[in-house]
Amino acid sequence: MYNNTGDILHVDLNKKTWWKEFVKKDDLLLYLGGRGISAKILWDLVKPGTDPLGPENILIFGAGLLSGSAAPSSGRTTVTCLSPATGLYMKTSAGGYWGGELKYAGYGHIVIHGRSDKPVYLWIDDANVEIRDASSLWGMDVRTADAAIKAELEDDDIQVSVIGQAGENLVRFASVMFSVYNAAGRCGAGAVMGSKNLKAIAVRGSGAVTAAKPERFHEVVMQTRENLLRESGIEGLRLYGTAGSLNAVNELRIFPAYNFQRSCVDDVYPLSGQCLIDEGYLKRRVSCFSCVIGCHRFTTIDRGVYAGTYSGGPEYESLGALGAGCGIMETEPVIKANELCNIYGMDTISAGSVIQWAMECFEKGVIGPEDLDGEELHWGNAVAVHKMIKQIAFREGFGDVLADGVKRAAERIGKNSYQWAVEAKGLEQSRVDTRSAKGYALAFAVNPRGADHLHTETFAEFGLSPESRALIKKITGDEKYASPRLTEKRAEIVRWHEDCFAVTDCLGFCAFSTTALYGVTPQAMAELFSAFTGFDINEAEIMEAGRRIVTMERCYNVRLGETRKEDTLPWRLMNESTPDLSGGNTVNSQEELDQMLDQYYDLHDWDRATACPRWEVLIRLRLRDVAKELADLGLLVKPF
Amino acid sequence: MNINEKVISSIPSKCLGCKQCELICSYLHEKSYSPRLARIKVVHFVDKGLSVPVTCAYCDQPVCEEVCPVGAMTHNPVTGAARVKEELCIGCKECVNACPLGAVDMHPLKGVALRCDLCDGDPACVKYCPVKALKYEPLYIGVKSKRRSRVEAWHLE
Repeated sequence: MYNNTGDILHVDLNKKTWWKEFVKKDDLLLYLGGRGISAKILWDLVKPGTDPLGPENILIFGAGLLSGSAAPSSGRTTVTCLSPATGLYMKTSAGGYWGGELKYAGYGHIVIHGRSDKPVYLWIDDANVEIRDASSLWGMDVRTADAAIKAELEDDDIQVSVIGQAGENLVRFASVMFSVYNAAGRCGAGAVMGSKNLKAIAVRGSGAVTAAKPERFHEVVMQTRENLLRESGIEGLRLYGTAGSLNAVNELRIFPAYNFQRSCVDDVYPLSGQCLIDEGYLKRRVSCFSCVIGCHRFTTIDRGVYAGTYSGGPEYESLGALGAGCGIMETEPVIKANELCNIYGMDTISAGSVIQWAMECFEKGVIGPEDLDGEELHWGNAVAVHKMIKQIAFREGFGDVLADGVKRAAERIGKNSYQWAVEAKGLEQSRVDTRSAKGYALAFAVNPRGADHLHTETFAEFGLSPESRALIKKITGDEKYASPRLTEKRAEIVRWHEDCFAVTDCLGFCAFSTTALYGVTPQAMAELFSAFTGFDINEAEIMEAGRRIVTMERCYNVRLGETRKEDTLPWRLMNESTPDLSGGNTVNSQEELDQMLDQYYDLHDWDRATACPRWEVLIRLRLRDVAKELADLGLLVKPF
Repeated sequence: MNINEKVISSIPSKCLGCKQCELICSYLHEKSYSPRLARIKVVHFVDKGLSVPVTCAYCDQPVCEEVCPVGAMTHNPVTGAARVKEELCIGCKECVNACPLGAVDMHPLKGVALRCDLCDGDPACVKYCPVKALKYEPLYIGVKSKRRSRVEAWHLE
């Protein structure tokens, strides 16, 4: 076999040492790469009782297995650790160019152990690994630190992953930023990096990535490319970006506004991808490594009070969370808020979510100007939002409360404020109103990292494109299930998307190429995996590997004590409707969710009461060690 | 140079920075993927979201060929396509230093000069650019459309 998976580089920041580990063939076939191998490493090394922000937590960077190759849209990197937001398993991923560069340096994974006694950054120059002093970089924002590292190392083409002030100050939703504007944003990996006193990982790779069967790999790459380029949605995604869908999403009444008190806005245009173009904010369309879609944006504001603002994005989620969610319906303040979150290095979804929760607290009189340095945190107060973003990053004033995430903030403030803290498992929910999208509702409830769309993106249930309707037919047998208010067949739809998403992450593909556009199919991924590694597996086998990874992630949370009761949705979405919704089930009732959960657990053959995979299932998926450990802990019944 | 001869030109405002041109170039010449092995290079300013592909401009007076002490840097007099005679190249890097565009580089594994060969008249980078940010056409056509779009931007009625 050609060794093209890349080695695992372990770095111990306590002892300032590093060592290499080869990826075993068995692990490659069982866990595929990227996210899968990271999940296995986390299971083995981080046991229950670990403090997410303590030195015993580890931080794993996993490049996609195919990153570095020409496989279209395969350049994503996964970051995995115990989450400081949820206390549970987390993976978060980012685009950019870093993953490919890491592969060219000869590595597939980096595992950071321990904690440095002073700020450092890691410099990986092919085989040379160096732990360098970062005291002069500490306190710098993402953009400045990226430039400073490139200046120090005298190479502007180095790829850098870095944290901003939010990560340094242990904001529980701090992101790790890649290639400046690509965020591994959710669940607080940036805080874990900050807790280790690790400012950045800079990489330069001069090597190459070669498939085990080069001709066959090239052939499938070219076919897959053509498939993706033929997709009906690709032109729109490239032209208008992720926010190009805002009009449709608003029409469908799944676009949350005013902290999920509304399901649409009256005029969505100022927040749309179309407006970014018409008003001249969009300067360039940008791709991640090897991606033929190019949905990322580069925007600037050239005139007015926000002149001089420039950043990647804003994306759909950022416009939703920092715009509509906070009642800001103007373009420029949202572009500004997006830039601030990016340079301080924090998740735009969670930042927007905690601030809109505070706004609702303010409007309801639960907090007042005296809690906010005199600020009037009314809906739509952009100046106050920008100030609050900064206060969160530096943990100043009320920002210190919000920096711990909305769940902890609501516990601290009390007075029923949990009712409008739109989170589950401690993660602020992303911007889809699940009251009108039942596949999303189920997917969000069972997501091991909390309520969001990045373990399972079931956009197909809306049936907006011929490709998505065909997929729903493939999964359920009938196109009629492409109907988001139905609860029937949601378990099947969610399971397929979970498996597919896991494979997507392992190989480094972007979910937009597999579960929003569908040009990169599971069959293509199996063929690419086979030609790349030289080990033949088919579509069913690669999807089973996806299932194995999803199951292991579930077991990780089971080992931490999670059960069925944590598979839930934010209180507001279970108990309140909005004036924009009508006709039938406009709230996610417990009864409805329970029904879907039963179907989902049954489909997996998991125990309905504990939501724990059964012994037989784990054995079938070749997770014997996991099964034994759970049985030893009394969490799982071993049949005799 | 024949005035109808084709050249590779790039349109930076269209380039996404996806590196497909580099990756496919690298594969077709080397059966391996690496920007270092590519004959076309994407110059990238990540903080500005800006990417510009740069490759051999096929100069009228190719200094890389002129400075080569062993005659390894050549081009086919009939098709015009460049060829590095790898068996002659001594790795002195004179061509790399001489090229004012930075379009000539060294092959990282073989230690010989690396220069665009136009894929024998059908450059793959152009063919596979997903947004047609690269063109391979006679210069006069490219200039014509550049002139046209500039005048169009004046919004004359």
